[in-house]
Amino acid sequence: MSQAADAHVAPTSTGIDHKKLIMWLFLASDCMFFGTLISTHLLYRKLYPTGFTDAQGHQHFIQNLFNLELTSFSTFILLMSSFLMALAVSAMHKAEIKSFRRNVLGVIFFGLIFLGCQVYEFTHFYHQGLTIQNSVLGSTFYVLTGTHGTHVAIGVLWLVLLYFYSFTGKLGGHMGALDVEVAGLYWHFVDIVWIIIFTLVYLVEYLGPSGIWGSGLPALTQ
Amino acid sequence: MSHDTHHAPVASKLDLAPERSDLGFIRPDRTTGWVDWLTTVDHKKIGILYGAFAMLFFLIGGVEALAIRTQLIRPDNDFVTARMYNQLFTMHGTTMIFLGVMPLSAAFFNFLVPLQIGARDVAFPRLNAFSLWTFVFGAFVLNASWLFEFGHLAGWFNSFDWYKALVYTDFAPANGWFSYAPLSGTFGQADATLQAPRFTGVGTDFWIIGLQVLGIASLAASFNFICTIINLRAKGMTMMRLPVFTWMTLVTSFLIILAFPAITVALIELMFDRQFGANFFNPSAGGQPVLWQHLFWIFGHPEVYILVLPAMGIVSEILPTFSGKSLFGYPIIVFSGAVIGFLGFAVWSHHMFTTGLGPVPTAAFALLTMAIAVPTGVKIFNWIGTLWGGRIRFTPPMVLALGFIWMFMCGGFSGVMHSSAPADSQQQDSYFVIAHFHYVLLGGVLLGLMAGLYFWFPKIFGRMPNAPLAYLASGLVILGFNMAFGPMHYLGLAGMARRTHTYHAGNGWETWNYVATIGAYILGAGVFLAFMNLVWTAFKGKKCSSDPWDGRTLEWSLPSPVPEYNFAQSPIISGRDAFFEDKHGSRRIGYENDGGNAGVHMPSQSWMPLVAGAGFLFIGLGMPMMSMRIPHAGWFVITGLAVLFVGIWLWALEGPGGYMLKTPAAPSTSDQPAPAAATSAH
Amino acid sequence: MSKGGLQMTSFLQSYTRPNTTMMFSRFFSRVGLFAAPFLALLIAGCSKADYTVRKSTLDPKGPVAQVQYDVFMDTVWLVLVLFVLVGGMLVYAVIRFRSRPGDDDKSPIIEEGHGNPLVEIGLITASIGSLVFIAVPTLSAIWYTDDVPAESVPTSKLSAWYPRLEAGKEVYAKAVEEQVLEIDVIGKQWWFRFEYPQLGLTNDAKHSVPNEMVIPRGKAVRINLRSEDVIHSFWIPKIAGKVDLMPGRKNHMWIQGNELGHYYGQCAEFCGDSHAYMMFRCEVVEPEEFAKWVQHQKSEADPVAAETKAEKGKALFGAKTCAMCHNISGHFGAGAFGPDLTHVASRKSLAGSWMDNRDPVAQLAAEKKGTGNTEASAPVDRATLKANLIKWIGSSGVSTGADGKPTKDVKPGNRMHYYKMFNVVSLKETHQTFSADELDCLAEYLLTLK
Repeated sequence: MSQAADAHVAPTSTGIDHKKLIMWLFLASDCMFFGTLISTHLLYRKLYPTGFTDAQGHQHFIQNLFNLELTSFSTFILLMSSFLMALAVSAMHKAEIKSFRRNVLGVIFFGLIFLGCQVYEFTHFYHQGLTIQNSVLGSTFYVLTGTHGTHVAIGVLWLVLLYFYSFTGKLGGHMGALDVEVAGLYWHFVDIVWIIIFTLVYLVEYLGPSGIWGSGLPALTQ
Repeated sequence: MSHDTHHAPVASKLDLAPERSDLGFIRPDRTTGWVDWLTTVDHKKIGILYGAFAMLFFLIGGVEALAIRTQLIRPDNDFVTARMYNQLFTMHGTTMIFLGVMPLSAAFFNFLVPLQIGARDVAFPRLNAFSLWTFVFGAFVLNASWLFEFGHLAGWFNSFDWYKALVYTDFAPANGWFSYAPLSGTFGQADATLQAPRFTGVGTDFWIIGLQVLGIASLAASFNFICTIINLRAKGMTMMRLPVFTWMTLVTSFLIILAFPAITVALIELMFDRQFGANFFNPSAGGQPVLWQHLFWIFGHPEVYILVLPAMGIVSEILPTFSGKSLFGYPIIVFSGAVIGFLGFAVWSHHMFTTGLGPVPTAAFALLTMAIAVPTGVKIFNWIGTLWGGRIRFTPPMVLALGFIWMFMCGGFSGVMHSSAPADSQQQDSYFVIAHFHYVLLGGVLLGLMAGLYFWFPKIFGRMPNAPLAYLASGLVILGFNMAFGPMHYLGLAGMARRTHTYHAGNGWETWNYVATIGAYILGAGVFLAFMNLVWTAFKGKKCSSDPWDGRTLEWSLPSPVPEYNFAQSPIISGRDAFFEDKHGSRRIGYENDGGNAGVHMPSQSWMPLVAGAGFLFIGLGMPMMSMRIPHAGWFVITGLAVLFVGIWLWALEGPGGYMLKTPAAPSTSDQPAPAAATSAH
Repeated sequence: MSKGGLQMTSFLQSYTRPNTTMMFSRFFSRVGLFAAPFLALLIAGCSKADYTVRKSTLDPKGPVAQVQYDVFMDTVWLVLVLFVLVGGMLVYAVIRFRSRPGDDDKSPIIEEGHGNPLVEIGLITASIGSLVFIAVPTLSAIWYTDDVPAESVPTSKLSAWYPRLEAGKEVYAKAVEEQVLEIDVIGKQWWFRFEYPQLGLTNDAKHSVPNEMVIPRGKAVRINLRSEDVIHSFWIPKIAGKVDLMPGRKNHMWIQGNELGHYYGQCAEFCGDSHAYMMFRCEVVEPEEFAKWVQHQKSEADPVAAETKAEKGKALFGAKTCAMCHNISGHFGAGAFGPDLTHVASRKSLAGSWMDNRDPVAQLAAEKKGTGNTEASAPVDRATLKANLIKWIGSSGVSTGADGKPTKDVKPGNRMHYYKMFNVVSLKETHQTFSADELDCLAEYLLTLK
């Protein structure tokens, strides 16, 4: 099958496969999408540096809300998943289907761990009093990280479908490697966006004695 | 493994044996009639469908405009209520921009770009069809709001509990096409059902979801076109040999993929405010309404260049053809198009000069806005340079193209006036702005698109539109348009505010409002006549040759109407205006050794793009229904998501398919590269 | 010629044949003929009356509007020059280079389309240069119009023209005497509330000023803008360009009226159903007049004569719960949400300044005196005001008239009649119905509130 499929794949003007090019274009657009969401969040962080005040008048400091250890762990997991994805792509290029399946399963597994950490984090924040409704911080935080989480979930779903598709024998050859590579591009993008979100949303709160916003909070002591 | 798409080449798709996709369903390759149109992946058919729908929505938007002008014909009129008027101008703007101009431009992109670059189709034919159907369903969702509104006015919903519980009963959006928050958003505290109080009803929700769906359609199409233009050019068709229309398509598509995310995010944030009690634009909770404006205009300003660049591309094709000369300063025209696209992202806050940005940002945006006049002016100079020394033939497309230059220039001038922020503080939100953007959009874009329709119609249908009728229609359009919008410059300077459904006598506005309304009716008659001419021509027009205008670009080298495979053999290019050179100059177009009896590869038709697009119909109707608290409306949305997902999944699984179609042998010798002309450095 | 060249020649010839060119020229000249007298009418019709209409931006009556007008005129001149030059080139090219019979026999023009780099660069440079012509005054005007200029402060500060003490009492605190007059503009759907915090005319003090602001002639006044609901915009075309009222944000601007008169303003940002009805007025008076006006604003309403319709009206005002939203100093002090009605009978406009309380004939006459003096004002006419009051209070889509049919909205969705939507207070629906006699009494009462 793959030979026949390859036979009529016409060469492109640039030599780049259509699917790969269109994925790059989609990612460029998605950059602007996340950029807008991140800008909204940063704007509101600048306006309301400390955190938020809930309806009862309690002040919540964002440093006390965030659990940097957990988020660092989930970030590491996502990074590792990208590494496994790269291995999966490489396996596909070498037509090593079993290796591909192992690695993809690893990516899926790590992706699910990441999502699990997110769900845990969201629940934890909710119980600590941060909701979408009760503050601007809640709105921007949940929508930004939730959108990213949705992207991860879509990626996991895509990889699950690829995993099962690999059992049909139709995933192989040049087109099969291309399909996996394109999924890999998406996955790496989602990972890079997370690095940026992690830095700009979580890490900057902890720079210097009181975070980048200079909110005058005492240094985080635990 | 049934990937047996490589049948023996057939002379016509009707000769194909039934073939099953990887899913086991028979591919709709052999269909004719309406099933053929619903499952087509042929860029030419898709272009025709885009064009037909666009013309329909132009007429609907035009009726909305005539209702507006009728209301304003005299002071203190009550032809429509205030609410209805506000809905009319909102839907008029939204319809004209998203359902009129953009799809009509898309019609041209679809039909022409593969032909102009020497390709057989776009890079992703099924994605192309998906864009079309998503647009159709999005347009339906947006206009479904009118259906709900009429139902409300007719009292059909009176007995329903959810209707009785509604605080606001505006079903069609009424906030203007830019729907500023917090009027479109929320205020105060969200209640137990996660809904905060709001200022408008479900009309805003229709607008939000309609635009989201339309945005997805535009994005998908743009990804496709960029990929096509970059990756599917014929041999020898370098970027600097592309026809200007294709270049403008490329720039426009980049603008779309980079600008639409901003409005996607803005709409998501607004939707979260309204549906889930978020606080993005809720001033009571610290949200900043000005953020909506920033996000909207970061999209909105590039959007106006998305609207105008295709028309500029069209004019850049028509002027050389009917001057008998090549385009003056091709590299500069291409470059200025790219600069306009780039700078278009830098000027958005000139729509916000009155929001209290502060002197420094105001000054910066004023200067940048003035700067963007330069590449636009360059284009106009180069168009005049094209005419200069030529032999101008005043065919209907040429008359319209010259009208474009004239009207767009006038619109550009009022734009320069707006760029000066202090002057703009008097003009903003007055009829002066309405005059400005209608001059560039109607006098500019619409005339350019109409010129394109008359220019390429013979290629699309093989029939020539009736010329005297075309001249008459064009005359009516130009006359009516100037009568309607010329006086609005005065009205704005005389203090008439926009988006006001009525005005008192005694302000000095009566006479010119009256004149403007008459002009609008003349304009409407002209547009209607122009469209009817085209529709009639498509079915009964006089047949004409494949190159009636002595065209310059590749599409004119093909028969009219264009066969499904486009080029019998793929062309080999060695310069700009390759077809013109081939006819009159020394450079010949070469042809590759493909096609003929060995056949060319044609993509298979498919139901999946339509199915996936239909998911948006359910989502689009479901979300406003949820907002109205209609019971079980959430299931609508879930069904829509399921249909969308299943459609895409089946699309992925069915495989690309394809079949081989025989083409006639090329008239000239095959696979001999064209003799390289000594002068062609490009 | 190859490919279809012969085929197309005869078709092309139809466009270069004399009768088609003539056909086009005929068409063109007809359009031109039609357009020419139209244009001439347009230009001739621009009399002074046209640009001095009530809300004209071309008739500045203060320094801010003047500067904005001057910058505008700079752009007009630039655009006119460009129009003549570029438009002229276009027209010339179209006429000079039109195809002539016999062109088809000439060989086609083949060239490379490089353009002429010198011409291009020259034109680009000229374009940039001409933009500098408007950029410089633009920048200067941006800063000038942003906030009260330093050179205006010495003459405009309160201590320079407004005696601080009146009859021993402080009109404004010593702490603010070096400031210019500041007016807070609060936008609501669909009316404006004006407060003069330095002078004690605030809503908290129950002395706010609805819809008709007053400013002293020749003095710079700082305007602070905020909104309580959606975005509105403050625009008095003859005095200054607009600035928006953004909820959640404080904007500011400054104005100065150099000529006495009654000026017309409008909300200029779409704010909902009744946006078209959201207007306001600005009166420019001499500083002494202004001081008197401030004192008057602080005064309480006179007691109402007993056994009159007005007394009945006053009772109705309370019974129909009008007092829950409207303050009438000395009579009803609970209201803070709606416009303050203590001096409603001295107002020249009503219902968001949509209704005019002056006799239309008298007003027209006043404006016609001395060509186009739209700032002139007839006095408030009792009969007109009474009719307006009755119409405004009694007419709304949810109330029924004498004929049993719902009356027509004066301002659809307004909060006086449609309070239910806005969760203002839980008023009973029945309070919306007024009999003709009730309306008459209410109006008579309100007419006493000068």
